[in-house]
Amino acid sequence: MGLRKVACVGAGITKFVRRAKETGRELAWEAAKMALDNAGMTLADIDCVVIGSAPDAFDGVHMKGEYLADGSGGFCKPVMRHFVGGGTGVFSPIHAWQHIASGKFETCLVVTEEKMSSCFPAPAGAFITIFDHTTEQPLGPTLIWIFALEMNRYMQRYGLTEADIAKVSVQNKFNAIDHPAAQLPGKITVKDVLNSEVLAWPVKRLDISPASDGAAAIVLTSEHKARRITDKPVWVSGVGWALDTAYWATRDLYYPQYVEKAARMAYEMAGIREPDKEIHIAEPYDPFDYKMLHHMEGLLLCKRGEAAKLVADGVTARTGRLPCCPSGGALGVGNPIAATGLMKIIELFLQLRGEAGKRQVPGDPRIGVAQAWGDLMQVGTVVVMSR
Amino acid sequence: MSFLEKPQRNVDLTAYDGKIPVHYKYTLGLAGDKFFTAIKKDGKFVGTHCEECDVIYSPPAIYCERCFASLEDSWVELPSSGTVVAFTVVTEDDQGKELHCPQVIAAIQLDGADNVFIHRVCDCCIEDLGIGVRVQATFKPKKERKGTLDDIEYFEIATE
Repeated sequence: MGLRKVACVGAGITKFVRRAKETGRELAWEAAKMALDNAGMTLADIDCVVIGSAPDAFDGVHMKGEYLADGSGGFCKPVMRHFVGGGTGVFSPIHAWQHIASGKFETCLVVTEEKMSSCFPAPAGAFITIFDHTTEQPLGPTLIWIFALEMNRYMQRYGLTEADIAKVSVQNKFNAIDHPAAQLPGKITVKDVLNSEVLAWPVKRLDISPASDGAAAIVLTSEHKARRITDKPVWVSGVGWALDTAYWATRDLYYPQYVEKAARMAYEMAGIREPDKEIHIAEPYDPFDYKMLHHMEGLLLCKRGEAAKLVADGVTARTGRLPCCPSGGALGVGNPIAATGLMKIIELFLQLRGEAGKRQVPGDPRIGVAQAWGDLMQVGTVVVMSR
Repeated sequence: MSFLEKPQRNVDLTAYDGKIPVHYKYTLGLAGDKFFTAIKKDGKFVGTHCEECDVIYSPPAIYCERCFASLEDSWVELPSSGTVVAFTVVTEDDQGKELHCPQVIAAIQLDGADNVFIHRVCDCCIEDLGIGVRVQATFKPKKERKGTLDDIEYFEIATE
């Protein structure tokens, strides 16, 4: 196809917190500056900037891309902002990949940010208008309705219990203890999850990731630039994205087709035929505990309905055969939407370079996959990284 | 309906009322916190200085947008005078209602600063206002200041 190889050469991330003193653009700068320092580069080395940020309504800033541009290094540079809801953070490296793989640019600074604490009484309130204004909004829906219907359908389809699903929350919050940016790490039990407040059955407080403020950034470059910058480039070896039907209740509530489509696109590009055997480490999107299971299945990392068993058997633990969310995921590290997806990309970057510190997955991992999910809960974004 | 036709009344079409039920609380940020604290406590403008680019930001930023250097420890004081870069006289409010008293809004570059900010100019100055005219800030009395943009009452034509 004439596409060039693209590498990740640096990463930066702010702490994820409930309410940051910093403005969104200050958070963006902290992460972007850290990514440049990590790569040993300066802003003058950057050809173009891409910015990923979810709804303007979270930060309460319209044209958020322009607002964030100076803190993202966009001064007098080609800047593009992209937005696919919760899927944004994993789409960000895809957007940057397009810029470099096409041959147009050699280096791209990729910045993602969300400041959800601006939004009162809760960011969820900003979501009312994602529902159809005549056929759904009169019922007073909240986001959690979607997840409750999905989780119930998923449990019913495969005979799973709430306890089976709670194990994901327990695992990820435990993994997050070792993540320096983490907002909600901790040792909790399945019982804690089951006893937490029911929001919309079967979804309970501890099944859900928190609302967060935070930013994350990476630097992508062409192959020849990367070879000069580092002896440990991590390649963006596969990218994929896909959208399901816009009618959210119509799509398959127990199987994310949109993720499978995106994953197959990414795997084909990366030359992966048997993802369950060839992928060493995975960062599926886990804003809810059942969603990590959903997404493991959509990513073809196991058979349909089997993900919960892998978690129960410790296969997905950091020391297991297929570590899933070794970062601690959205459930443990936090969920500043667009920054969460890029946090997962950064986790792969660090793990594949052997630089994940206490979180390092044993066994010298060489291939990883990260995925996010969003829009009206029907977009899948997938990136395969390798070294 | 052609694009030239407009529904005269909303009730002509069946419609649901909609509302996004949120409001916002914005933090001042690290730079904004210092900027507004200096106004509130001392009635002064402060800015940040990038030595590398020789640029002064006021209102300030904790980073230089040109070179990305940290400016967190590079604070400078600025006088409360500046120059009008552009101005307008506003006669309708944001709902299209006529204002009793026209509002004068100007883009003002503080002396020493490289960036420009927007504020009111006292309407008593309309006759003499022009681009390039020298202005200075009038702050509210200290006990009325709250650490917000309104602590600056307005700018007036400089007397000096």
